[in-house]
Amino acid sequence: MTRIAAVGDVHLGEDARGRMRPALERLGDHADVLLLAGDLTRHGTVEEARVVADEFADLPVPVVAVLGNHDHHSDQQDEITALLDDRGIRVLEGDGVVLTLDGCRVGIAGVKGFGGGFAGKCGSNFGEREMKAFVGHTVGIAERLREALAALDADMKIALTHYAPVPDTLRGEPPEIHPFLGSYLLGEAIDANHADLAVHGHAHFGTEHGLTPGGVRVRNVAQPIIRTAYTVYDVRPAGVPASAAG
Amino acid sequence: MTTSGGTTQEPESAQYLAARLQRALAEDARTTEQGVRVTVRGEHVLLSGDVACAERRTEVEAVVHEAAPGLQVLNDVRVVPVGEPVGQEEIR
Ligand SMILES: [Fe+2]
Ligand SMILES: [Fe+2]
Repeated sequence: MTRIAAVGDVHLGEDARGRMRPALERLGDHADVLLLAGDLTRHGTVEEARVVADEFADLPVPVVAVLGNHDHHSDQQDEITALLDDRGIRVLEGDGVVLTLDGCRVGIAGVKGFGGGFAGKCGSNFGEREMKAFVGHTVGIAERLREALAALDADMKIALTHYAPVPDTLRGEPPEIHPFLGSYLLGEAIDANHADLAVHGHAHFGTEHGLTPGGVRVRNVAQPIIRTAYTVYDVRPAGVPASAAG
Repeated sequence: MTTSGGTTQEPESAQYLAARLQRALAEDARTTEQGVRVTVRGEHVLLSGDVACAERRTEVEAVVHEAAPGLQVLNDVRVVPVGEPVGQEEIR
């Protein structure tokens, strides 16, 4: 059993500096790892990323993150990734990490994700170049998530995204904007690899609990939903040997 | 919107107004806020959602007030709680 702490959409900046740190100091009593599900900043600047690093660096457990759309707003995502990595916060984008936590090899694969919508109500890679670029972005990201999950040699696999892999966790958001909040292609990649848990953010008005068509638990950990510094899932792997998956 | 001089201009439809204010919150560099909902009811604009600190709650209200000076802003935006969690969820 592994205690997975997670939070998304902290949207930090100089004005919110230090707000979360008191609750993080005793993180080791609650969890074995902390996942950050994107939208770490508000404007996506390196200055804001410095606040993020000061907030989440040097914690008693490993910290693994993906970036969100806000973290891309100033086109400084590469600098932000380098800065956070430098401070010991592992930022994933199409890759994964395996951590041995309490004797269990916990594999985490992460991507930002993107929109496109959900089965039967989604965009297609067709028509204007702008539409193809939009859908193509998601297709490429979902493919990288699939490969990163498949490459994990672990007892437990966790998918970490910013955008949603299922519509369940968007309940509370207007259905008209679902295509901007996630894509079923992410869910498909998660199901293909029999992940044990999928964690995302982005949908501030959504719902915490969801399930993929393949039966993988999905949790929306956007901070306005969980309403704490982080939430904790005590996960036991499904018992499917990693070699039998995917 | 109604002008103060008593003459009435073509009123901006509540839908267009709500869309314009929502975009202002998302695109104004002071806020870049996508997590605040805008509801227009007659002369009132209701703001709801969560932001990361008290300053942003004030900024959000200021940007909306600037964009629609004739309307009364009702600010229900909350500052998101950041306390330690109580308990955990078991996933089997
Ligand atoms: Fe967000
Ligand atoms: Fe987001």
